[in-house]
Amino acid sequence: MRSLNDCKLYVITGENYHKGRDLLEVMEAAIRGGADIVQLRDKDAAGPELLEKARALRELTRRLGALFIVNDHPEIALAAEADGVHLGQEDLPIEAARALVGPDRLIGISTHSIGQARAAERAGADYIGVGPVYPTGTKPGRPAVGTGYVAEAAEEIRIPFFAIGGIHPGNAEEVLAAGARRLCAVSAVVGSPDPAAVCRELRALIERAQLSAPLPRTGGGRLAKTVVVNGRAETTDADTLQELAASFRFGEKLVVAERNGEVVPRADWTSTPVGEGDRIEFVHFVGGG
Amino acid sequence: MNTLNEIAADRNSTDVLTIGGTKLRSRFFLGTGRYPSPAVMLQALEASGAQVVTFAVRRVNLEEVEDDSILRHLTERKDLIYLPNTSGAGNADEAVRIARLARGAGLGHWVKVEISAHPYTLLPDPVETLRATERLANEGFVVLPYVSDDPILCKRLEEAGAAAVMPGGSPIGTGLGILNPYHLGLIAEEASVPVIVDAGLGSAADAAQAMELGADGILANTPVAKAQDPVAMARAMRLALEAGRLSRLAGRIPRKRYATASSEPEGRLFGVPASGGPFEAGARGEKAADDADAKGGAAHRPAAGPGGGEGFAAHAGGRSR
Repeated sequence: MRSLNDCKLYVITGENYHKGRDLLEVMEAAIRGGADIVQLRDKDAAGPELLEKARALRELTRRLGALFIVNDHPEIALAAEADGVHLGQEDLPIEAARALVGPDRLIGISTHSIGQARAAERAGADYIGVGPVYPTGTKPGRPAVGTGYVAEAAEEIRIPFFAIGGIHPGNAEEVLAAGARRLCAVSAVVGSPDPAAVCRELRALIERAQLSAPLPRTGGGRLAKTVVVNGRAETTDADTLQELAASFRFGEKLVVAERNGEVVPRADWTSTPVGEGDRIEFVHFVGGG
Repeated sequence: MNTLNEIAADRNSTDVLTIGGTKLRSRFFLGTGRYPSPAVMLQALEASGAQVVTFAVRRVNLEEVEDDSILRHLTERKDLIYLPNTSGAGNADEAVRIARLARGAGLGHWVKVEISAHPYTLLPDPVETLRATERLANEGFVVLPYVSDDPILCKRLEEAGAAAVMPGGSPIGTGLGILNPYHLGLIAEEASVPVIVDAGLGSAADAAQAMELGADGILANTPVAKAQDPVAMARAMRLALEAGRLSRLAGRIPRKRYATASSEPEGRLFGVPASGGPFEAGARGEKAADDADAKGGAAHRPAAGPGGGEGFAAHAGGRSR
C-alpha cells in the first residue's frame, strides 16, 4: 500500500461538478493523472448508497494503487475497508474516531487555523487539510484563510498537510510558494472535462516546487540545511555564520571562520549566510612550534 | 674595565635583530606546544625572554568547546609577536589557507610556513614551501619558512620574499641537534635575511652552536617544553643563545692540530723537550698548520667548514642583523 508520506495530490469526489459522467470514470482519470489519495465525500448519499460508492472506489483505488479515504463516516470507512476517514471540525473528535477505526487507519481532519492544526497534531491526526486557501464553491460560506495560514502550517506542522480550497493549476504555485508541499483539489479536477490533465499539471507544479526547495524544515520553522563544519556533516537551521557559531558556544575564545575556503572576518559573521552544502571551518590557535 | 655583563649589554643594545621591519628584543623564538601546563608554558616564556611565540592553527573541537585555547593565556602580554605556523598543511594551497585563517584572528601577519612531506621525519617539502612563501609574501605576509638546511633553497626562499629563513638543525622534536653545521654555516654566510635555526635542537649547547655558526636566532619548542624542568631549560637556552651570539661576534680562534703554549717560551726554567720521536714531527706539523691558517686554509681540520673554523674569524662581527 502506498504510504501517506508519499502522497502529494489529494482529490476529493464532487459528483455535482461532473453531472452526466460516472464517478468511477472521473476518479480513475484523476488517479491516472497523478492523484495518489482519493476521498469520497457525498453529503447527500444515505448509508447503503454511500457504502456502495465507497466499495466501488475502494476497488478502484486498490487496483490503481491510491489511498482511499471516506469523509465523515468511520463506519463506512471500516465497512468499505478504506485506508482512513476524514473529519470536519464539527464531526466526531479525533480520539473518538480513533477508537472506532483503530490505530492503523488514517485519520485526517480539516483545519482552518493554526490553532486547529496544532490541536489536530496533538490529538493524533495522521494528516490535516489546510484551508480553504481560496473561496470555494465546495464549501460555500466559509471564508478563505489565504496562503498566510499555509505558511504558518509549513512552519510549524510536522504531520503531512494538504492545502485545499479553490486550488487549481492557475494558483497552485502561489500556494506552493507559501510552503505547501501537498495539494488537494476538488472542482478543478473533477469539474474538468479532462481530470487527468489537470492532475498532471498540478503534480508537475508540486514536483517543481519541491525541486526548487527540497529542504526539510526544523521545529523552529527555519530551513534546515546540511553543512560541513570542521569536516563533519551537521544539520542546522542557522541562517548566518553568527548563528551557527552561537550553536557551538565558543564563548570568549578567539575563533576564526572560513566559509567555502574564504576567511570570514568576525565582524561579517552576522551578514554571512549559511547555505546548504557550505563547508565551514572554525579554527583557533593551539600550542605549536 | 667592563664586566662581561656590560660587554654583553653593550653588544645587545646595538646588536638588534630586525625581521619584517620589526626590531626584536630577543633572538629566542619560543614554541608553545607540549608543555606540562599553560602555567609552565607562561613561566618558560618569561624565563626565555622570547618575544616571538609560535602557534599552530587547528579546528575547534566542536564536541568539547571548553578545551583550552593557548591564546587565552597570553593576551596580557601585549608585546608579543605571534608567529602562527602552517603545520598540518601538505602543500602550498593548504599552507596559504591556514595562513589566511591565522591572519583572520587579527594578531598580525607573520607566518611560519611549515609544509611537512614525510610522516616520520616531518621534513619540509622544499618545492611547496617555496611556492607558499612566494604567494604569501605577495599577499603581504611576513613569511618565515621552515626549510631543510639547504643553502641554495634558503637563497631561493629569500628571493621569493621570505623575511627570514628557518633551516632545521634536525627533524622536529628529535633533539638531535645540528646535524650539518657545514650547511648551516654556509646558509648564515650567504643569507641576506635573518637565519633562525628551527627544529631539532636538544639543549642549550645546540643553541650556542647555532649562534656560533652564525645564526641570527633560534626557535625552540620541544627541548624546552619536554625538558625535566622547562622553565630552567628556557633560561639555559636563552643564556646559551646569548653566549653563542657573543662568542660569534667575539670571533673565535682558528682550530689547530697541535698545542700552542699560552706563555712565551723565553725565560723558562728548564730545557726544551727532547728532540726526535713524535714531538719532533709535531713541531714541524704545528708550523705547517700555522702557515695553513695564515693563508686561510684548513690543512688539519677534517670536518671544519665555513662555520667550523676560519669562517668565524673571517666573518665575526661582519654582519649584524
